[in-house]
Amino acid sequence: MKKFTVFSIVLIVLFAVLAMPVVAGGQQESEKKEVVLNWPCIWVGEDAKADAVADIVAEFNEKHAGEIKVEIEEMPSYDIYDKKILAQISGGQVPDIFTLKWNPDTKDFYSGDILVDFSDDLAGGWGNRFDSSIVNEVTIDGQTKVVPYEMAITPIWYNAELFAEAGFDGFPETYDEFWDACEALKANDVTPTSQMTGGANAWTSMLWYSHIMASVGGPDIWDKPLSDPAYVEGAEILKRLYSNGNTTKDAIGGGPAIPSGHYLAERTAVFCNGPWFIGNIRDNAPEVYESTELTSAPAAAGGDEDAQVGFIQTVLASGATDDPAKREAAVTFLQYMSEPENVKRISMDSGALMVPKFSFSASDEVDPLQKKFVEAQENASFVVSHMAGKFPASVVQEFGAALDQMALGKASPEEFVQMLEAANE
Amino acid sequence: MLVKNKNWKWIIIFMLPLAAMYITFFIYPFGFVFVSSLMKWNGISPMEFIGFQNYAKLFRATTLQISVRNNVIWALSLGFLQIGLATIIAFILARRPRFWKSLRTVYFIPKVISGVAIAMLWKAVYNAEYGALNAVLSLITGQEWSHNWLGEFATALPAIIAQEVMYIGYFMIIILAGVMSIPTSYYEAAEIDGASVWQQETLITLPVVWGIIVTAMTLAMAYGLRHFEATFLMTGGGPGHSTSTLALMMYDKIGARKLGQASTIGTILVIVGFIVIVTLNQTLGRKSLTGEDQ
Repeated sequence: MKKFTVFSIVLIVLFAVLAMPVVAGGQQESEKKEVVLNWPCIWVGEDAKADAVADIVAEFNEKHAGEIKVEIEEMPSYDIYDKKILAQISGGQVPDIFTLKWNPDTKDFYSGDILVDFSDDLAGGWGNRFDSSIVNEVTIDGQTKVVPYEMAITPIWYNAELFAEAGFDGFPETYDEFWDACEALKANDVTPTSQMTGGANAWTSMLWYSHIMASVGGPDIWDKPLSDPAYVEGAEILKRLYSNGNTTKDAIGGGPAIPSGHYLAERTAVFCNGPWFIGNIRDNAPEVYESTELTSAPAAAGGDEDAQVGFIQTVLASGATDDPAKREAAVTFLQYMSEPENVKRISMDSGALMVPKFSFSASDEVDPLQKKFVEAQENASFVVSHMAGKFPASVVQEFGAALDQMALGKASPEEFVQMLEAANE
Repeated sequence: MLVKNKNWKWIIIFMLPLAAMYITFFIYPFGFVFVSSLMKWNGISPMEFIGFQNYAKLFRATTLQISVRNNVIWALSLGFLQIGLATIIAFILARRPRFWKSLRTVYFIPKVISGVAIAMLWKAVYNAEYGALNAVLSLITGQEWSHNWLGEFATALPAIIAQEVMYIGYFMIIILAGVMSIPTSYYEAAEIDGASVWQQETLITLPVVWGIIVTAMTLAMAYGLRHFEATFLMTGGGPGHSTSTLALMMYDKIGARKLGQASTIGTILVIVGFIVIVTLNQTLGRKSLTGEDQ
């Protein structure tokens, strides 16, 4: 018994001696522990915002050296990014910082305790950096679980020089005039429009359809169900954009590089995209950049004029955590990202339109095309969201496949809309 | 009949790690996929049990029928066309014609190139506006070709399969290794008996390497059944779902946050794969060409 007691005491002492440095070290370590924030990021590689974002993150890390470190995980594909984030979240591993597209499906992320709720932080002054209406749009049941960051206006881009060579001083205001212009362009060996049915959502054509629907259905078009005849009327115009050589042959099945590539090479005269493409066109096709003008889509017969398509493009979010230090670090970083000076740098570098407020000074060399985006927004009679911002991903995914069938003559405009309706069930 | 073995404890001990890995990395994930196929789940909110509703919904969708059909076409194309080609080339190279070693390397090189790069290369070749295939056809026929190979219903699937089938290097090497291990004395004896080259190949080489060919066919068909990469990169399943496969459909369902339906497709994929592979082994794998049980 005595032997056992002595042995036990020796064991306890030994354990205490061995554990002491570990515990002490652990305390020291926790005092000095650097919070590391993982950010799977799409603004990398060739993305127009990549350089500015990399610089801002580097500066943040330097400013908070030893306290907070943001580590960017490069994710250059937009399509794969969404799926990666979802896979991580469904596996219970929500990234510390990540971006989301703002659409009806994004609201699913508000359920449960997946994301940090920024409502208190925004109420504490940070919210003054944003337009209150936009903050309200991303606030659901009093919770603001995302930081609205990038917005978009996606007007019609056209090559004014190619139009002038075809005998048109400006962009047609109605579709009747537009079809005439298409014939004139084709006579000059220029394909009128850039389109695509591939990619995750047939982006360029989806934007075109959104423009058409804005004119056909008015400001509240997306409040109408898909059974509304306006959708078929819009589909008839979209079908014609794919007929009679009004777009390139590789538009069917084409991914994002197809419409942009043709426009940059002056093989097409009309394109549709957001301001993030400014950097690309400026760097890769300076002559086209000089010739590019922005406008609204032609008005459908009896439809609204000068409508534009605009939406909150990207929001920033942070995975919920039990660690207050990590939460604080995430908020600190997101506040840094939304500082007017940093937002301005990203905007000026890439041409993107940003949600956090900032102003250009007289000495700032604002990109002329970026100014045209602002003007296009200001001149719009009204702005509607793009289709992908108002319908679930299942409908948006089906859009490209249904468009394939309509463009190849396998489906009528009515059947095209029926396919979208089926995907919406 | 169970065979009694005095080392049964050791057998169990040595098999345990593999069994544990199999359970962890196949049985458990498949069980999870099957269970989640009975759920309504968006990957974010908790799962909700809905029985076989996902199956009922998917079986009504034409996209599933197209995808299953395409997967079977893929499996048969790779299993018979690709392995058939690989076998013919292996038999030819085994005869050691001039430059056979260089040719062997040339055939194998595409296998070490990224599938993504190859798919992008072929996408450019098939492009309707500036593709090399249309240019070559225009040159040969003297007529202007601007066919959208990947954007037309009739040609999209054959175009993707064709570019995959021709990469025979991997299976050709496996079959070639088998052919070259056949003792030359077999052929010398056959020649003395007056057998032609055709007879030597069909009556000696083919029966001896038949087991290897069936294994290669099984592997190729298994790849065909889970095919994703080239279709995803070249057509994304289009035009109008005509080139969709089960794996691609599953990927799309994940993108639409319908993870329950994605799991349903995963379950169907496993079942279809099981049926095809078992059928192959039952029909081709049980007997050798010499009539002996394998």
